[in-house]
Amino acid sequence: MTTVDRREFIKSAAMSAAVAAAAGSTRAFALPVLTAPGVQWNKAPCRFCGTGCHVLVGVEDGRVVGIQGDLKADVNKGLLCVKGYHVGQILYGKDRLTTPLLRKDGRLVPISWEEAIDTVARRVLKDPKGFAMYGSGQWTIPEGCAGNKFMKGGLSSNHLDGNPRLCMSSAVTGFLSTYGVDEPAGVYDDLDQCDVAIMWGNNMAEMHPVVFSRIVDRRSRGEKVTIIDFGTRRTRTTDHADEFLLFKPNSDLAIANGIAHLLVQNNAYDKDFVARHCNFRQLDPEKPDAMQGKPMTFDEYAAALAEYTPERVEQISGVPADKIRLLAALFARRDIRITSLWCMGMNQHTRGTAINCLVHGIHLLSGHFGKPGDAPTSLTGQPSACGTVREVGTLCHLLPGGRLVANEDHRKHAEGFWNLPEGRINPKPGYHTVLLFEKFCTPTDKGGDIHTLWVQVTNPGQSLPNLHKLFKAKKGLEDKFLIVSDVYPTATTELADLVLPSALWVEKNGMYGNSERRTQQWFKMVDPPGQARDDCWQTIAVARRLFDLGFEGMKNKDAEFLFTFKDKGGKPVPVWDWNHYYDINVDEAFFEEYRPFSKLKQKDLAPYAEYARTRGLRWPVVQQPDGSWRETRWRFSEFDDPYVKKGAGTQFYNSVTKDDKALVWFRPWEPPPEGPDADYPYWLCTGRVLEHWHTGSMTRRVPQLHRAMPAAYVEISSTDAARLGVRSGERVALVSRRGRLELPCWIGGRGDCPEGTVFVPFFDESLLINELTLDAHDPFSKQPDYKKCAVRVERVVTTGAAR
Amino acid sequence: MSNDADISRRDFVRGRLLRTVRAMAGVPTPPPAPQRAAWVPLPIRRPPGAVPEARFLAECTRCNACIQACPVGAITVAPMRFRHAAGTPMIDQATAACVMCPDTPCISACEPGVLRKDRPLKMGTAWVDRSNCLAHRGTLCTTCSERCPVPGALRVDGGKPAIQDATCTGCGVCAQVCPAPINAIAILPLPDRPA
Ligand code: SF4
Repeated sequence: MTTVDRREFIKSAAMSAAVAAAAGSTRAFALPVLTAPGVQWNKAPCRFCGTGCHVLVGVEDGRVVGIQGDLKADVNKGLLCVKGYHVGQILYGKDRLTTPLLRKDGRLVPISWEEAIDTVARRVLKDPKGFAMYGSGQWTIPEGCAGNKFMKGGLSSNHLDGNPRLCMSSAVTGFLSTYGVDEPAGVYDDLDQCDVAIMWGNNMAEMHPVVFSRIVDRRSRGEKVTIIDFGTRRTRTTDHADEFLLFKPNSDLAIANGIAHLLVQNNAYDKDFVARHCNFRQLDPEKPDAMQGKPMTFDEYAAALAEYTPERVEQISGVPADKIRLLAALFARRDIRITSLWCMGMNQHTRGTAINCLVHGIHLLSGHFGKPGDAPTSLTGQPSACGTVREVGTLCHLLPGGRLVANEDHRKHAEGFWNLPEGRINPKPGYHTVLLFEKFCTPTDKGGDIHTLWVQVTNPGQSLPNLHKLFKAKKGLEDKFLIVSDVYPTATTELADLVLPSALWVEKNGMYGNSERRTQQWFKMVDPPGQARDDCWQTIAVARRLFDLGFEGMKNKDAEFLFTFKDKGGKPVPVWDWNHYYDINVDEAFFEEYRPFSKLKQKDLAPYAEYARTRGLRWPVVQQPDGSWRETRWRFSEFDDPYVKKGAGTQFYNSVTKDDKALVWFRPWEPPPEGPDADYPYWLCTGRVLEHWHTGSMTRRVPQLHRAMPAAYVEISSTDAARLGVRSGERVALVSRRGRLELPCWIGGRGDCPEGTVFVPFFDESLLINELTLDAHDPFSKQPDYKKCAVRVERVVTTGAAR
Repeated sequence: MSNDADISRRDFVRGRLLRTVRAMAGVPTPPPAPQRAAWVPLPIRRPPGAVPEARFLAECTRCNACIQACPVGAITVAPMRFRHAAGTPMIDQATAACVMCPDTPCISACEPGVLRKDRPLKMGTAWVDRSNCLAHRGTLCTTCSERCPVPGALRVDGGKPAIQDATCTGCGVCAQVCPAPINAIAILPLPDRPA
């Protein structure tokens, strides 16, 4: 960013100050905002996390010049986190990609869009079965719709997976195996009404700061809310917690079972709720299947839990037996409301599905479900992990609307909605993320049957685990071809053979779906720089090139092009031609095509125009007799969810067992696949920090955020540091079975690890901690565990390394 | 030169905006700067351990030894707009912060002894502008307190930073790292250092 740009920004940030002050700031917070005549303000969801705050974007002379929190937004009511206040600047990093680049003789050289699109199409034609796509929870909903239809409906290939596989898929399997349908029943409103909020390995203060403020803010209004922080290290969340329970990594399953055991043993569970709404399940050892399992009676369930006495749980987890009793006693109370919250701690876990099921189980068992403030709620890290990936179904086994490629009826349905010839969709699930990259990085003659991979809107070269094996091994494989659509050079574009410059955020139309089932929409406000173009357009353009080359899959049942969009007069618009892409609203067209899918599992979406009007709506959104559209806050609860039968109270209408009941699972605690030993005596945990989002490719280009958190570090306990003889700022080397990395240490900084654990954030592309992490994953969700692997810490002896 | 002009203009614009914002948000304007003796030129932030300003101006040889000794390049030569202080060493808040090295290499390098180990290290005092500080405006932020190199100088009370004037050395690290859209920390220099 040049001085002038920065100064403009400073000025406009200052400008950002008056509106709110003038509006009388309904909340005491939110920065004051100034504006100037000539600045146009428009709504958009924040580009970063799954919280889904709304911002107002100020545009002047074709440039974003200011950002303010949106007072009209339910989610954030004018407040933003430190990243959100700077979100406008991500558009203006000085190294934006502005032209397609093709690798020739080892160097990336500019080429034309025609050549770029043709190159992609030729790679498809080489062998469509070996062409894969890797999408993202940062894809807009229409981008996901385009990718899904292109791959599954066009190439008859399910080798399309998305990065939420690495962050949310255990939550998905947890919801599916418990309720038969994905996504939380509760909403953020629960946080305004709960008496107790439990953070299950969740550093909400840094990861979902605005929702966390929503809880903490209640205290400043004199309300009492108890925050219980379960964690493997102290974090900023701990500062606000009434109880901090430090547990040993991987022992969360024992704790959850311990709570369930006490509820059962003390006869303190909600008998009525359980009798009316719950079935009990365990894994069938013969046929492990996270969805169906093997039925068990309540007595068998109780017997299975019996070994998890508070004392035994203390032994496994390190959490004092009394604290386990205290938690069980809380869940036993019917006069309080309890909300559980979790994110990567429970999901990035080799037992992710199991721990998700157990936490749902505690809530069901104790009847802390379905009332405002009583909810088990998972949070998402990406802005549209829910909207684009879980709902649109951009994973290798899914179809839109939460349906499965392996199910014949589901395929037929989808073929109908997409107007495809029967049998077009492949019944075989494709490769999930870890397998996909393994196949891509394995030589063709050794079974690596993915020859081309198109990555859109994400950065696997930094975010995959075990990077040497799953990404860097691509280097030198001559016949493998990596295509990357992105906005900045990243660790992924480093190995790319073709780079496609993309439009970012308000440089295009978009729709996102946040953690609480809220679908959001925004309009394009400024032009992308240079030749950067929408990801959605890129997909359509490649499809059209294939169509022109005679590829059968790009035709629908009526032999028309797969992506045929018509204008109001019924005339097809050549949207594959960039000059005509904005002749119609392609987002709206995709969304309306996708909407019928949403009804299949009661995830009803409203027409596009409703989202343009509002700050998002939470599905199911159902039309009222007067024609208006009503969102649903509490799913499965009669008082709010229109799909619940009158008189049922609570009804799990997507139930796995088809009897309107949810499943309470028993899942045992088991030791982790890799833990500290004599050679690698420390646990390594990885994660994010407040200032940076995902792999830092956007936030590190914002000067204020970069200055506030310039580089990765290793957080180490003062005891371990003293033993190693290192002080804050001095470098240590972390060594795992998979890689080695030197980093400065930070003692008593942002967080605080207990002895024997170290923590490293993953935002820094110059210090790739994922070279060390483990690619072992949950057997059901296929989500890898970034939170636990074994490392050794070595002091690095260099002169003058202290500063 | 043109650069200097830019900076002062920017400071001017910012100062005016800040006052407007404060007025609109009902935040009182900061306390007036301490009374200055007539001979002091513009407020200038000296490296740590500086002797009183009159003596500093008289005895500093402008040898630049402290500038070379600073491992983070925080010390610069005062530009022309500082008039008769031009050419002397200073720390410019807009561009750098003293990191409070335990071994104070700048002081060790100072031959004429206008930077002295027996003098307080205080260079100024940080001041938090509450109308722009994220933590004071409801957003979770603890960056300044985490990075403050002086134990006890910056406390977090109820999630909000509070400067402890007596302990704060005015090193400026907090101002450097502050991620608020409008930097919420000002370093008030200490032109009237006690004799
Ligand atoms: S990063 Fe997340 S919490 Fe912060 S403003 Fe954006 S959506 Fe809200």
